[in-house]
Amino acid sequence: MRRFSPRVFHVAHRFFRDRSQAEEAAQETFLKAFAQLKSFAGRGSLEGWLTRIATNTCLNMLRSAKRRPEVVTADLSDDETEFLETVSGPVGAETLNAEQRVVAVDLAERLLETLSPEDRLALTMIDGEGASVNEVAEVTGWSESKVKVRAFRARKKAREVLEKLLR
Amino acid sequence: MNHITEILDNTPFADLTDAELRTIHAHTKSCGDCANAFEAAQLSSVLLRERISETAAQAANSNPFFQTRVLAAWREQQTGGAWNFRRLWSATGAIVASMAATTAALGVLMFVAPGANTADQQTAALVPYSAESVLLEQDRDDSQLTNDQVISAIYDDDDEGK
Repeated sequence: MRRFSPRVFHVAHRFFRDRSQAEEAAQETFLKAFAQLKSFAGRGSLEGWLTRIATNTCLNMLRSAKRRPEVVTADLSDDETEFLETVSGPVGAETLNAEQRVVAVDLAERLLETLSPEDRLALTMIDGEGASVNEVAEVTGWSESKVKVRAFRARKKAREVLEKLLR
Repeated sequence: MNHITEILDNTPFADLTDAELRTIHAHTKSCGDCANAFEAAQLSSVLLRERISETAAQAANSNPFFQTRVLAAWREQQTGGAWNFRRLWSATGAIVASMAATTAALGVLMFVAPGANTADQQTAALVPYSAESVLLEQDRDDSQLTNDQVISAIYDDDDEGK
């Protein structure tokens, strides 16, 4: 468990910024893995098997939360508004200071919350982590075309939300 | 006019090729909406990048007691299951025992207690009541005489008179 915890936590934090929620997801993942250990036939790596369990567990937790608030300008904090004014433009976004990075993570979380769990996963993995479509398909068990559709939809939605905030 | 939003939505921002970027920049000079879309796509990429770097940092600093917590939860889950079975089994035992006790009590009531009454009644039926015994015992309370005793005493007298 010590060996695979970092991997499972990485998957959990991909979905949950909150530490306690991520821990809950990671714990659930290990409990499921212990219970289903006999069903692991040895095809593929144990880490890959755990990653898939963790991903499905997190997706289920997010689905049951059913919370997808819209982000509107009126909801933004002063820091977030200031951040958007400062970094909008091709140069400002590339160089962030420590405070701006904190605000950026807050905004990213708001942005991701507007997406469905599946779209969120596709966007985070492909656009955020640089994973390939094939890698996402392996982790989720989806077809590659489904992954592409999810990523396209997520990118479009995220772009549209931010466009509204930047106006 | 071909807008560039499809290019932005089809490809991760970081993976846009130089040729695609040239096309985008050429277009955004004359299209305000697409310029806004490009800016949003770029910002989205930056926000995601920051979110992922935080994810990596969080994953590295996990709770040191996490392993203990998971193992405790696993043990609880396992013993919880066994305890439930044991509780169910002991409850079943209690129900079976109470059913057996009830059956035994009913058996006693049906075969032992009614059996004693029947024997008394049979004995009483076999004892003939003579007129003398009725007359000699007439000072006894009437409530102790049965209807049969009274009737046999009366009719026996009549038969003797004939």
